[in-house]
Amino acid sequence: MAEDLVLDTAIRDWVLIPLSVVMVLIGVLRYFVSKLMRSYQVPDAKIVKEGQVIVRARNLRSGANFIPPKAFRARRVYFSNEENGLLFVPKGQAQNAQAQMFSDPNMAMDMMKKNLSMIIPQTLTFAWVNFFFSGFVAAKIPFPLTQRFRSMLQNGIDLSTVDVSYVSSRSWYFLNLFGLRGLFSLILGEENAMDDTQRMMQMSGFGFDPTKSLSAEKDSLDIIQHEWALPKFEQRAEAVLRKLVS
Amino acid sequence: MVTKTEETQLNRLEGQVENGGGGAWDYLCFVRKLKVRRSDKVLKYGLSILNDPKKRSSLGPEEWTLYEQVAIAAMDCQCFDVAKDCINVLQKRFPESKRVGRLEGMLLEAKGSWTEAEKAYLSLLEDNPLDQVIHKRRVALAKAQGNMSGAIEFINKYLETFMADSDTWRELAEIYVSLQMYKQAAFCYEELILAQPTVPLYHLAYADVLYTLGGLENLQAAKKYYSSTIELTGGKNTRALFGICLCTSAIAQLTKGRNKEEKDSPDLQSLATAALEKDYKQRASDKVSVLGSALKSLKVSS
Repeated sequence: MAEDLVLDTAIRDWVLIPLSVVMVLIGVLRYFVSKLMRSYQVPDAKIVKEGQVIVRARNLRSGANFIPPKAFRARRVYFSNEENGLLFVPKGQAQNAQAQMFSDPNMAMDMMKKNLSMIIPQTLTFAWVNFFFSGFVAAKIPFPLTQRFRSMLQNGIDLSTVDVSYVSSRSWYFLNLFGLRGLFSLILGEENAMDDTQRMMQMSGFGFDPTKSLSAEKDSLDIIQHEWALPKFEQRAEAVLRKLVS
Repeated sequence: MVTKTEETQLNRLEGQVENGGGGAWDYLCFVRKLKVRRSDKVLKYGLSILNDPKKRSSLGPEEWTLYEQVAIAAMDCQCFDVAKDCINVLQKRFPESKRVGRLEGMLLEAKGSWTEAEKAYLSLLEDNPLDQVIHKRRVALAKAQGNMSGAIEFINKYLETFMADSDTWRELAEIYVSLQMYKQAAFCYEELILAQPTVPLYHLAYADVLYTLGGLENLQAAKKYYSSTIELTGGKNTRALFGICLCTSAIAQLTKGRNKEEKDSPDLQSLATAALEKDYKQRASDKVSVLGSALKSLKVSS
């Protein structure tokens, strides 16, 4: 049933390789364009302070067992006190952050720019692939697949008896889309290796929402039971010294 | 904080450069990375690179970082004209730059013109109210003038916004200790322990402060923190070992006659003294007798 189709080497030369090269080049171009278009965002004092408060509260949680109980309790009250505790956010302010983010024109512009630099090359490349490279089998996937993948992978091919392992160039495009992260990390340096999937995830996130994280920290801080770890240390020190001296 | 391997590497590079073996640029980069203060060497080798136009052009864009590094080293060594030249070069290349503005403020500070330096920093802060480095320079300015309470005030205001900055807490703790405000210093050290619980330095400093504060509860807590330091350093920290002996004898003095305290670690003091003796025998064998008499006087009072 599965006859081996012999694929023309010309397909490899003129479809697979050029498509990969083009996608790599577009990724590099996008990186440089984003570097040029990056506008300097003045950090808001309140947001910086809230970020630091969260870090400090997290430190308090993780190191709680290392400081004396009185000190811990004093700090906990400082953070979660009902009236002027650092982590306490009155209910009314909670929803403001998201609304503010939309109304702030600078931030909206930034988000738009980031989204655009993402959407436009993807759309263009996809249209190009569809126009030029459709209607023929492009590659063979080395492992067998079920029939369900047929509609996804064989979109341009109108024969229904061809084995699902033979895919169209559209699937090669998607493969490259998700897989070029490793290559980018080699070319552009470790931190710039942003694959398209990660950018898509970044697009949907709305950025830093401090109020929710503040109340989350407050709740986890309230839960903690303080157990002073230091008394145990005396015995451990004894053991260490015993080994050292003997 | 510099690790042992980095320290040996730094010394090796330094020796290599001093004996004419080249590698001055690597040495300068390493010093910059570790933030170590070796101003006279940096000045000497940095100037030799900068004055040679061929070597300077081979640096490319790193040239400006080198100018900044040499300017700061020159200010440390009181060579103000060298510093002024470097700053002028940087200013021509990067006019309206915050970094160059900071260097100019530092030059004014180094020359001793406090009010002008303060004015320069304040104007920089107006443009960037959230610039951490400028805030810290203001604190350094107050400290250099000997105005400790002003420095404390600046640091406290800084920490209200940037409260996760461990270096600043450390600086504040040291200032408090120098002013003998031990309770506040203890608070700062607690912050440091929370942020980095595995660094023995903070446990040791906290134990010292607690011991200095005195009182039975503090002494017991100090003993516990000395033991945690011992555990974190594998028993090699001489100061912690001494601390244990002192704490135990002080506690014993305070609770003389009250034998309700159950000693949960009775051998700790004897073990600490044994470890101390062993250490001294290994490293400073001529001082063993001094150690012996000191420890004996401690034991007598316990």
